[in-house]
Amino acid sequence: MNGGKATLGRTAGLYLGAAVLRLALFTLFPGLPDLLTGRVEISTPVTSFKRLQEGLFLYNHNVSPYDGGVYHQAPLLLPLFALLPSFAALPVFTYLLYIAVDLLSAHALFQIAESGEPGASALYTSPRRDKRWSGFVIAALFLFSPFTIATCIGRPTSVFTACAILHAVVKAISGAPVGAMVALSFAAYLSMYPLLLLPPLLLLSYDRQLPGRATKSLAQFAATNIGVVASVLGMLFSMSFLITGSWEFLPSTYGVQLTLSDLAPNVGLWWYFFVEMFDSFRSFFLAVFWLHLSAYVGALTVRIRRQPLVVLTLLLGIFAIFKPYPSISDMSLFLATVSLYRHVFPLMRYTFLVASIIMYTTFLGPAFYHLWIYAGSGNANFFYAITLVWGLGLSLLVCDLTFAVLRDEWEVERPEMVGKEIRQI
Amino acid sequence: MPRLISGALRLRRDPRILKLPPYLSLLCILVGAVWLFLLPLQEYSRRTYISENALLPGQVHTYFGGSDQHVFRAYKHEVNALAGKTNIEINTELESIAKGLGLKVSRQNFTYTSAGHVYTGENLYAILQAPRGDATEAIVLVAAWKNAKGELNRNGVPLLFTLARYFKRWSLWSKDIIFLVTPDSIAGPQAWVDAYHDAHDSARVDSLPLKSGALQGAIAIDYAQESRFESVHIVYDGINGQLPNLDLINSINNIAGGQMGMGVALQEMWRHNDQYPDRLRTMLRGMLKQGLGLASGPHSSFIPYHVDAVTLQPFGEGWQDEMAMGRVVEGTFRSLNNLLEHLHQSFFFYLLMQRERFVSIGTYLPSAMLVAANFTIMAIALWIKSGQRERGDDKQDKDGKAEGEGEAEGKEAGKEVGEPSSASVAVEREIFLPLGFVTACQFLAFLPLYLFNHAPDSLLTPLFTIFAILNTLLPHVISSFLTAYYTPTTQQYQLTKSFSLLLLGMFLSSLATLNFSLSLLVGLLASPLTFMRPWPSSPAMRIACTVLLNAIAPTAVLVASAAYWQVGVGEVLREAAFAWDVYGMYSPVVVWCVWWPAWVAGSVIVLGRPAEGRGKVKTA
Repeated sequence: MNGGKATLGRTAGLYLGAAVLRLALFTLFPGLPDLLTGRVEISTPVTSFKRLQEGLFLYNHNVSPYDGGVYHQAPLLLPLFALLPSFAALPVFTYLLYIAVDLLSAHALFQIAESGEPGASALYTSPRRDKRWSGFVIAALFLFSPFTIATCIGRPTSVFTACAILHAVVKAISGAPVGAMVALSFAAYLSMYPLLLLPPLLLLSYDRQLPGRATKSLAQFAATNIGVVASVLGMLFSMSFLITGSWEFLPSTYGVQLTLSDLAPNVGLWWYFFVEMFDSFRSFFLAVFWLHLSAYVGALTVRIRRQPLVVLTLLLGIFAIFKPYPSISDMSLFLATVSLYRHVFPLMRYTFLVASIIMYTTFLGPAFYHLWIYAGSGNANFFYAITLVWGLGLSLLVCDLTFAVLRDEWEVERPEMVGKEIRQI
Repeated sequence: MPRLISGALRLRRDPRILKLPPYLSLLCILVGAVWLFLLPLQEYSRRTYISENALLPGQVHTYFGGSDQHVFRAYKHEVNALAGKTNIEINTELESIAKGLGLKVSRQNFTYTSAGHVYTGENLYAILQAPRGDATEAIVLVAAWKNAKGELNRNGVPLLFTLARYFKRWSLWSKDIIFLVTPDSIAGPQAWVDAYHDAHDSARVDSLPLKSGALQGAIAIDYAQESRFESVHIVYDGINGQLPNLDLINSINNIAGGQMGMGVALQEMWRHNDQYPDRLRTMLRGMLKQGLGLASGPHSSFIPYHVDAVTLQPFGEGWQDEMAMGRVVEGTFRSLNNLLEHLHQSFFFYLLMQRERFVSIGTYLPSAMLVAANFTIMAIALWIKSGQRERGDDKQDKDGKAEGEGEAEGKEAGKEVGEPSSASVAVEREIFLPLGFVTACQFLAFLPLYLFNHAPDSLLTPLFTIFAILNTLLPHVISSFLTAYYTPTTQQYQLTKSFSLLLLGMFLSSLATLNFSLSLLVGLLASPLTFMRPWPSSPAMRIACTVLLNAIAPTAVLVASAAYWQVGVGEVLREAAFAWDVYGMYSPVVVWCVWWPAWVAGSVIVLGRPAEGRGKVKTA
């Protein structure tokens, strides 16, 4: 780029600016963190900071944190937050932790962008790759996105998952498969769904192995790394067992995600569906919904084999729509990874539509939630209608990105078709 | 099907289709405005009806009267003797009266600061515990010591105590009844309701030592008139345009109008002949009040907490006495007492145009949505337009091709350039300058918002004058700055307008669901912004548009409306700051953060002098 030192200084300035902005929001508007923590768009039952406080209180008083059925998050978060000075007395340490996590995520995105992987993977080089945003721009877009800022102020624990996922990708790209697997295991331990990212991540690390100590056979590579994930997860589980003293945490954290036992509203599509459903159909539809969510993994991994990072991006988008408890933090992670694909933006067709839908729903969602919960003049259908539109906007973006990436690949395969109109039927 | 799609695609490329949106936008505005004027017609409005069967309004015999008249005179004598005394003295006296009735009594202090003024006072309230209830639900009867106009509520307060004495004798109450006397009509009830729901700032407002159950409804009596009255005026506007459930208004209508045989008026329409002009006037007054979002009486503060409330104001010269007023309240309380659950059956979004005619949200919302949609349509059209080459560019393109040269722009637009259908191919859009400009305008808006909400009273008028002058100059400054430093292209002006209108449309359509009237008002006032564009070659048009825009600027509208109601601008701003500080009225946010940025963007666009031709992309 333009001189290592200048970039470094600029990036450091960016991180500093983002940190100062967040700290200012935390301290100048003392009501804001609590307000945002209470928003259903930010805090879900499995990520809420309020519930974490509850779990922490129980944990500090030597009661099982899962008693009372409020806390549904991973047990190892408890000792981490117990180490920090009490939130009630010195909240600034919690703020700093969340700011640091945001900066770490931004730095991971910076590294991913600078590696050039989005434009030129091991098996495929896009002819458009020159037109891309630098790591600085990507990190800035992530750090100053209103969704990321709102998430940081709202302090859901999903930011730890996002950070772990991004670092898994960084490790995979830089030729450290074990590091990638460890990071992914942490993400999976915290939120479970990142385990579905394992196949594309395996391929990404396989493609990006360092030439010196590369494993030739994909099967052998996969087996080793799945072993790594399994052993790390096993270790994390046994540590959790040691901390809480029982296996109760498994049904309380992962069980809740699998069975959707907490039906608090969120921006996803599941809660309303399962509120309305008769109990006899519940298990069937739970299976269908989970099957639907995981079905994309195999298909996308096979179809876009040459660009595993694209698969990861698309999957993050799909999770942000179809997860049991999505929030805008998933969406901010997805948008950040989408911005890595600046070079295929000219091929996308619905950018304006998607941007408009996302903006409209961002404002209409809280308005309708207000009508439902506070004004009492609306009902649950109002809010659910908006989450449907939100889901529609995001899925349009996922489809559009898929289209753009496939078109980009196709134009390399069939140079004579470059620029021709296509007709989708 | 494929043929249909390709047909649609071909249509999309037709240049005529891009000429359409301005007309479509105009149509939306016109239809939206005309729609509103159709609503009072017999065919479009509906007759009111009671949805909640449990209410049974007017079905019970009311017994208030007889010897209660003497009790009332006695209380009135005592209350009149208190006129002119301090809040604390009054409350001490009233407390002894309420205690004498055997009620639990408590007091609450509050202090609000706004625009350099301190509003302080003490509320007094008493709770009548329901003989048949379990203190989980309560109804509130409010009488402010001074009504919204500042007159002494000389009959309302004694009536409240007479009713308290009367209600105490009945054993049929299944909900607690809370009697609340506040020193003023706005701040006092607000402090009390906030504290009742534990949503108060305990530095300014005391917590309530005594509480009952969930509030199911509230009636405020504003009876300052000395003589007998003819009809009762129902004031129902809540804060930020929220309204009480229509069932409550219908019940009172039924009891007062049907059972008691007195007249009922709405929106200060003292005479109503139920013809089109009167209906329209009632509706427009209601909409204006809703749009302003100001509190109109002691009941207003209850509505944001989802407690349905109205103020009853007797008016006119007639033969109805205080006892009749008491019977209306009694009948209403008996109806509310019947409720098994919160009022929810009937409408929360409605426009009343006569005591028995209304339109519901489904009928009127399209008009505000159409006005908001006009901005979105234009924004989308401009986005598409900005992605297409202008005709001049097309010619250049062909020339370039004839000479067999690759041209600079061809490279940017990707490889698609050089295809026969180049008109359909998207040009790379330079979005950063427009995006930055619109964002900057949006953030700049916090300045007037902060300024007018925090400046002391004495500074408001001078500050506003300075701001209005600066506001007129601001677009010129920004425009010459942009022209000097960035030389924006036509495309960038189109994108600026597109983004600005998109935001405006988005805000207004969201707002339409919360406060229909405000959204429609701002939408109509901002509608000329849809048609603003740079006039590089026609100074006359540029000046005409600038003048028009300055006439509909938020500042100009504020001055004009203040002049129309013959109040000073400072007074309006002080009222707005009070409303913002005390009960959280958000109309200033809409004016400064939604309307004003769009206006600034529109004014800058009119003054714009786009650089010749389409700007070339400088960096890849």
